[in-house]
Amino acid sequence: MQSTSTILSMLNEVLTTELTSINQYFLHARMYKNWGFNTLNDKCYKKSIMDMKQADKLIERILFLEGLPNLQRLGALSIGEHTVEMIKCDTGVQITQIEQMKTAIALCETEKDYVTRELLTEILEHEEEHLDWLETQDYQIQNMGIDKYLQAQL
Amino acid sequence: MFVCLCKGITDSDIQQLVLEHGVGSIRELKQHVALGSECGTCTKVAQMVIDNTIIDETLFKNVG
Ligand code: FES
Ligand SMILES: [Fe+2]
Repeated sequence: MQSTSTILSMLNEVLTTELTSINQYFLHARMYKNWGFNTLNDKCYKKSIMDMKQADKLIERILFLEGLPNLQRLGALSIGEHTVEMIKCDTGVQITQIEQMKTAIALCETEKDYVTRELLTEILEHEEEHLDWLETQDYQIQNMGIDKYLQAQL
Repeated sequence: MFVCLCKGITDSDIQQLVLEHGVGSIRELKQHVALGSECGTCTKVAQMVIDNTIIDETLFKNVG
């Protein structure tokens, strides 16, 4: 089934974001692991795998719409040097992506591509959940201090 | 945070070079570190870090 070039290039941009996100969270996960922060490792590792599954769905959708999924392009990673900075970097990434997803969903609406819209809405839901988790971490750090927070992550 | 992942160069590394060695451009930065010598994705952000550090420094001087 053929689609419009605007839908296809939008889907490829969303795919680039997911591919970048896979690497960002994978590296952050293993940095946490290296420092012994196992709960943070788990959370970021699972987020990375989730991004991979989302990328998979986007790739299949692009192929279905007779486009070529761009697996060459990768965005710049935003990697922190310590926990607070890593949470800040991830928060920035999530906010940018959520903005992008909303624009993408609006485009599906104007192009009447309701199946793509459903796929993107599902991704958006997960991205919002992760942003909420990041905000909770930030709140906890503000309230109990970074030392206590990190102790709880061992 | 890491500005250049290929070479492991952070924003604080760049800030230090601006403040202590008077680095004011990417070209000058490259005389001190290998930033941007692999994939090149980092040069835009590196430029921003240089600019922001210079702005902060001038503001500080104006106040002082
Ligand atoms: S990130 Fe700086 S050269 Fe690749
Ligand atoms: Fe994702």
